[in-house]
Amino acid sequence: MQGLSFSYPGSAAPVFEHLDLSLPEGGCMIIRGASGCGKSTLLRLACRLSSPASGRVLIQGSDISAMPPSQLRSRVCLVSQIPQMVDGSVKSNLLLPFTFAANAGKQRPLDAGLMEMLMDFHLPDISLEQSAVKLSVGQKQRLALMRALLPGPELLLLDEPTSSLDRESTTMVFSIIERFNAEGKTIMLVTHDEEAPSGPRTKTLTLVNGKLIET
Amino acid sequence: MNEIVSIPLTHLLLALLFIVIAQATSMVWHLGLGRDITVGTIRTVSQLFLMGYALTFIFRAKSLPLTLGIFLVMVVSAVFIVKGRVKEREVPYLAPTFITMLVSYFVTAVFVSYAIVGITPWWEPRYFIPTAGMVIGNSMSALAISIERLFSQMRQQRELIEMKLTLGADYREASGDIFISAVKAGMIPSINAMMGVGLVFLPGMMSGQILAGSDPMEAIRYQIVVMFMLVGSTAMSAIIVMIAVRRRCFGSGEELLLTSR
Repeated sequence: MQGLSFSYPGSAAPVFEHLDLSLPEGGCMIIRGASGCGKSTLLRLACRLSSPASGRVLIQGSDISAMPPSQLRSRVCLVSQIPQMVDGSVKSNLLLPFTFAANAGKQRPLDAGLMEMLMDFHLPDISLEQSAVKLSVGQKQRLALMRALLPGPELLLLDEPTSSLDRESTTMVFSIIERFNAEGKTIMLVTHDEEAPSGPRTKTLTLVNGKLIET
Repeated sequence: MNEIVSIPLTHLLLALLFIVIAQATSMVWHLGLGRDITVGTIRTVSQLFLMGYALTFIFRAKSLPLTLGIFLVMVVSAVFIVKGRVKEREVPYLAPTFITMLVSYFVTAVFVSYAIVGITPWWEPRYFIPTAGMVIGNSMSALAISIERLFSQMRQQRELIEMKLTLGADYREASGDIFISAVKAGMIPSINAMMGVGLVFLPGMMSGQILAGSDPMEAIRYQIVVMFMLVGSTAMSAIIVMIAVRRRCFGSGEELLLTSR
């Protein structure tokens, strides 16, 4: 991210101005900061869900504003803090990304693979056929993370992925994120949780008054 | 079947009895509608008399520019009525709505006047203006319903749309369900009208023709054309307007521009 400035519509005060940030390929960046300081906005800017007032975001040297948006988001996936499920089964939700043209070339996982993944995410009691909208927020949060991982994005943007999870599930989700990172995927994680990943490729920054401070 | 029973002015005054009934109802039941009924009565009489004189002049003048001018005024008025019904101010939707209405209603009115009814010239005001008026009046309501539905659903389902976008959906895929629901909402009234016509109600145009002395079998032919025309023009204008307006709900990065309320 180079020289990023952003203000909310109708607000004169900028959330941040001329912000520079670099995340190496295969790295894991944890961003902390007080509520409302602009952490989630950084993630939204990285996948063009929001547009900066000035500055640019580059991925592997290419300006994302020059990429077709759906192609960009098939490579860079954001998991929001409040998990969203479409009306339908767990399976239809997990396979949702594969119904989009941008993911057409990607291999759809088989039922056995999905079941195995549900076990991996500590969701052994959930069947593929049950309704996804009736799950608890914590279950939906893990399902949303699974769904984001399935098409194999290069960069995963995670906004408080453990906010509705208990201690045990939080540990499990962070270990999955560490594993994903160890496989070479790049992670940008916004969290308040103290128990965040802490591998050798992990870098922690705190957003204070529109500035990123390494901690 | 050709004699027309004219209503003398004195008999027209007798029709005011219905207004007296409405006023009395409002007074007795404290409905507070007295002023509205009075203003409505005055406006009905003055607007229709003015329209009557204007149409008499236009029909006699048989002028193409004048006919097209009237058509343009009707479309512009319809756009303002749609604007009054749709409360959205964040997304500019009036320009595509106006262009679509202008083009699709013109094509429909010309097709009906020239190809189906067989009028020469195609712009013969006695046929072209009433035909255009029916298309505009009905499709305008349908468009207002569709546009309002599109905006309200987009706002309600903002998080769901963004979730799909973040998983690689383009803006069409992310809002496909809402698009279909909005188009259907606009089309359903004209389809329902086809189900009930002749059984539940006699449409105004057909009734008018019969009252004016036309053969009922002739009147139903016109009405069939009108019913089909309304369904077709509603479908055509709703789809085109929805395509244009939906695109405007998203920015250049296909990010949803509508904020939650």
